[in-house]
Amino acid sequence: MSKTEEKTIRKAAAGDRLAFRDLVLEHSHAMFRLAWRLSGDKTAADDIVQEAFIKAWQKIGDFRMESSFRSWINRITVNTAMDYLRKQSRLAARTTAEPEWERSREGSETPKHDVQIDIQTQTHAAMMLLSEKERAALMLRHFEGHSINEIAQMLDLTSNACKQTIFRAVRKMRIELAPLVAT
Amino acid sequence: MKKITNDDLVLLYYGEHENPELAKMVAADLELSARFEALGLELGQIDNFSPPARDDDYAAETWLKISPQLAVSRENPAGFWNRLRNGLAQPHFSFAGVAALSVVAVLAFMLGRQGTQPGIELPITNGIPQTASLAGLGTQRLLTSSVSGHLEQVNIVLTEFANSDESRANEAERVTDMLVANRLYRQAAAARGDQALASFLAGLEPLLIEMAYEAHQDSPATRNRMQQEIRGSLLFRVRAVSQRLQNSTIST
Repeated sequence: MSKTEEKTIRKAAAGDRLAFRDLVLEHSHAMFRLAWRLSGDKTAADDIVQEAFIKAWQKIGDFRMESSFRSWINRITVNTAMDYLRKQSRLAARTTAEPEWERSREGSETPKHDVQIDIQTQTHAAMMLLSEKERAALMLRHFEGHSINEIAQMLDLTSNACKQTIFRAVRKMRIELAPLVAT
Repeated sequence: MKKITNDDLVLLYYGEHENPELAKMVAADLELSARFEALGLELGQIDNFSPPARDDDYAAETWLKISPQLAVSRENPAGFWNRLRNGLAQPHFSFAGVAALSVVAVLAFMLGRQGTQPGIELPITNGIPQTASLAGLGTQRLLTSSVSGHLEQVNIVLTEFANSDESRANEAERVTDMLVANRLYRQAAAARGDQALASFLAGLEPLLIEMAYEAHQDSPATRNRMQQEIRGSLLFRVRAVSQRLQNSTIST
């Protein structure tokens, strides 16, 4: 963490909204990418990012500079996404709207002119077949570069359980993605 | 030698395997190399899981959306006036709230000015400071009536909080307004020499502060403790003082 970021965090923790705004401007895009990969839905990702920042503002006094701010905010984003997805799954029976990945999966059965779009669609659909925890663990390892120990802390798992979660996710993904490699 | 599993290769792919020699072993073995390459190709497909692009303005838009909702957190050690300034700078601080607080502030100022101040001699007729007695009677009624109304509002908010498991919309903002008003009334009461009322209002502040900072969202135990405090004696005292003030307003 840079000295500048550390100073900004301290100011935000002291109640300086403008300092917190700087953190929002700095981390919004990365948080959106993570939230989207966890939810698979743009609108949901927007909601998750906003909720995670509000939680971060409320809890920033707890941040002890022992880890990177990115790790800390990622943890909040993951927890917020998990809560969000749990709520959404409870509401799912009552709504007719399909998540983006469902539409994508159905769309993938029709011929596509753009092969790259088809691969993205199938990857998206495959990713959404994972459980929330499996997807979170794999995303945090594959895209965010967090170590297994860090991911274990974020997801409240033991290190070994986290490893097993990633192994399960990889096994499921390989089954889904192997045909794409063969083509 | 222990068999090298696909899980070992996954750990190797992500640079997490404990055995530093594994990479060399895989490179030296055709079958392992083929398996590792296949794994790499398949996991490489995950890179296609890419989110939609957002505009450069996305971060600024996010800020605009969340800034009105940023409640003043309990962990925030900023001073009271700093928090008030922050609150007033945000749209969540309603115009009605600002207007009400302005009235309270003017009232408190007037009451403070007309309160007992050492070193100021007032005209005396037949041994009675006339101006002070008339002004004192009017302002005391004004203070009593205003605090009585304030305590009615406090009573409603505390009752709602004590009987609910979830926070109501805008509760924190409402309590923040109430906290500011409570402090101004306390100062006015102290300036009028009504130490009992000032002390009672001061006793309300710790709980109002916790509610304004949404401390109860930290854990159910905190919410329980706050609710017990309200049900225990606070609500009774608020109602009793409010009633007493109402009665004294009527009698004067």
